[in-house]
Amino acid sequence: MADVVFDQASRVYTAGAKPAVNRLDLEIAEGEFVVLVGPSGSGKSTALRMLAGLEEIDDGEIRIGGRNMVGVPSRDRDIAMVFQNYALYPNKTVGDNMAFPLKMRGVDKATQQEKVRAAADILGLTDYLDRKPKALSGGQRQRVAMGRAIVREPQVFLMDEPLSNLDAKMRVSTRTEIAAMQRRLGVTTVYVTHDQVEAMTMGDRVALLADGKLQQFDTPADLYDKPANAFVAGFIGSPAMNLFTLPVSAEGVRIGSSELRLPREVQSRISGDRVTLGIRPEQWGVANGDGGASAGGVKAQVDVVEELGSDAYLYAHLDDDAQTAVVVRTAGRSGARRGDQIVLTPTSDELHLFDPESGDRL
Amino acid sequence: MTVTEQRPAEIVPRQPASAGREGWIRRAPLLPALIFTIIVTQLPFLFTIYYSLQSWNLVRPGSAQFVGLDNYVKVFTDSQFRGVAVNTVVLTAGAVLISMVLGLAFALLLDRQFRGRGFVRTLLITPFLITPVAAALLWKTVLFDPTYGLINFVLSPFGAGQTDWISAFPLTSVMVALVWQWTPFMMLLTLAGLQSQPHDVLEAARVDGAGSFAIFREVTLPHLRRFIELGIVLGAIYLVNTFDAIYMMTQGGPGTASANLPFYIYQRAFLGFDIGQSAAMGVVVVIATIIVSTFALRLIFRSFQTEEG
Ligand SMILES: Nc1ncnc2c1ncn2[C@@H]1O[C@H](COP(=O)(O)OP(=O)(O)OP(=O)(O)O)[C@@H](O)[C@H]1O
Ligand SMILES: [Mg+2]
Repeated sequence: MADVVFDQASRVYTAGAKPAVNRLDLEIAEGEFVVLVGPSGSGKSTALRMLAGLEEIDDGEIRIGGRNMVGVPSRDRDIAMVFQNYALYPNKTVGDNMAFPLKMRGVDKATQQEKVRAAADILGLTDYLDRKPKALSGGQRQRVAMGRAIVREPQVFLMDEPLSNLDAKMRVSTRTEIAAMQRRLGVTTVYVTHDQVEAMTMGDRVALLADGKLQQFDTPADLYDKPANAFVAGFIGSPAMNLFTLPVSAEGVRIGSSELRLPREVQSRISGDRVTLGIRPEQWGVANGDGGASAGGVKAQVDVVEELGSDAYLYAHLDDDAQTAVVVRTAGRSGARRGDQIVLTPTSDELHLFDPESGDRL
Repeated sequence: MTVTEQRPAEIVPRQPASAGREGWIRRAPLLPALIFTIIVTQLPFLFTIYYSLQSWNLVRPGSAQFVGLDNYVKVFTDSQFRGVAVNTVVLTAGAVLISMVLGLAFALLLDRQFRGRGFVRTLLITPFLITPVAAALLWKTVLFDPTYGLINFVLSPFGAGQTDWISAFPLTSVMVALVWQWTPFMMLLTLAGLQSQPHDVLEAARVDGAGSFAIFREVTLPHLRRFIELGIVLGAIYLVNTFDAIYMMTQGGPGTASANLPFYIYQRAFLGFDIGQSAAMGVVVVIATIIVSTFALRLIFRSFQTEEG
């Protein structure tokens, strides 16, 4: 076990092009489970592969256990990696697949057998040790890939979207299994995913990347409650946070014809004459709009109702010139229908304000 | 009460639609090709069997007479025939294996990025595009010739430029020319295999601690196995029939030192004029080839069955 440090680490695939990973700084503590998340093409895989030694570190440093990894080949980094398509050795049996990293390190046959058997026990693969990967289901292959990583007791686990080829149900159960196993083994883990639910549920801390740059590196709760900028706010949470860029008025902000009153404490943080306001779907109070606009509310019209049972999402548009779209979470079976007029009022003091230019949190 | 249709208790496979008459309607257009194939391959073979039971000297018309299995007895007691059979095995196996090893080596080199890769690849393929007769002539005159040959020219500064390569090592010389022609074929085949290898498996091996050689032995070679087997079988099928290179370079000589079976049979038939004897050899060779190639084909099919998934 070791800590992992990205120190201004960068990767440029072709000279002159935009860096795929741009001056990334991360300090990952020993035994921590860190998730790299971000939209497609944001450089998550590249960052992980730099740590694995499969991509060059063009600038900056990556340190594992204090040792600089620039120029160190993969096999000398004492890491184990789980690939998206598992990358099992097709001509080797499950047992030989799992024993391969031990064999390459010159571990003797008896110890190999013993460790493979122990790992197979944990993963429920004991009956499949003599099969070839071809004869396994997707979920079983995934576990073989996990087994190959854990037999060696490496310093760091690296995983690149290891669950993306599983069906939804398997993904949820395997997600908890991986997280539990990591806690038990206590091995520092870097896990890449584009799925924010995986990121929020598995990681001790989550690093959000966009365009090769680190946006925020925090605990899941802080990422949700205190997004560092408008991008993070919009990325984390499903459905996404409602973001409006609005003119500032005396008591709040103006949306179309109505004025949205903001708590005094929130109001005091605004400096310019425009501001980006973020309100999560669950931070709205909904009132029936037929009785006329109640004080401080915004009129809207419902377009789509998504009934999920425990709660429902209303997709509506505001009563302004741009017909801005807005998402609202309400209790399930509230009886809302398409076309209903509603009045929305922010219910929470925890509204998010961002600078409209830079997107930074105010 | 509703009446459910009674179904037979046992489920039997449905008859395929193409059974019987309709099947023949479908196959009929293929018949001319089948008949043509029988005429050009099977009839000559039957004639050959017939000739092999005759004693018939080509230059003495009317000498043909039935001699039973006499010719076959002579074939099996002919020590030259045995020597030539050994030559055939040595020539075929040697040329195939050496060109496979060289082809694999070139494929490994071509599988990496470097400047001018396309040009180098074209150069390496060229020998395969040259007519075999021309290639043999090239080796005989331009390279191996004792007086004008390039090999002796290159070796002369080291004081070793006097060898008449073709007379000194006739079988090896022919093999060298064949290897030169067949290496590109093996290279293309194994290169296709290398390029169809998934990258992430190689990366996984690197992360798992394997060095270059271990990756080659543990991951790449098993993946290439069926490509290599296919190359060996195809190469053997072609090279066992080699005639042109031997005809051009050595005429099978000195004596029969560099003759293989096809060339030896040709010699006996058209230089020795002994039709009966050479027909009997032909029959023996065909039967032996069928036996060997049955195993070879089984090898191909087996390697395709145990493909990876
Ligand atoms: N081998 C390569 N050569 C050139 N550019 C590359 C290469 N691999 C990735 N890139 C570029 O680098 C950027 C980051 O790619 P990366 O694979 O790290 O994204 P990602 O965050 O893993 O995305 P995804 O979620 O789709 O896997 C992308 O813009 C991509 O086009
Ligand atoms: Mg990726």
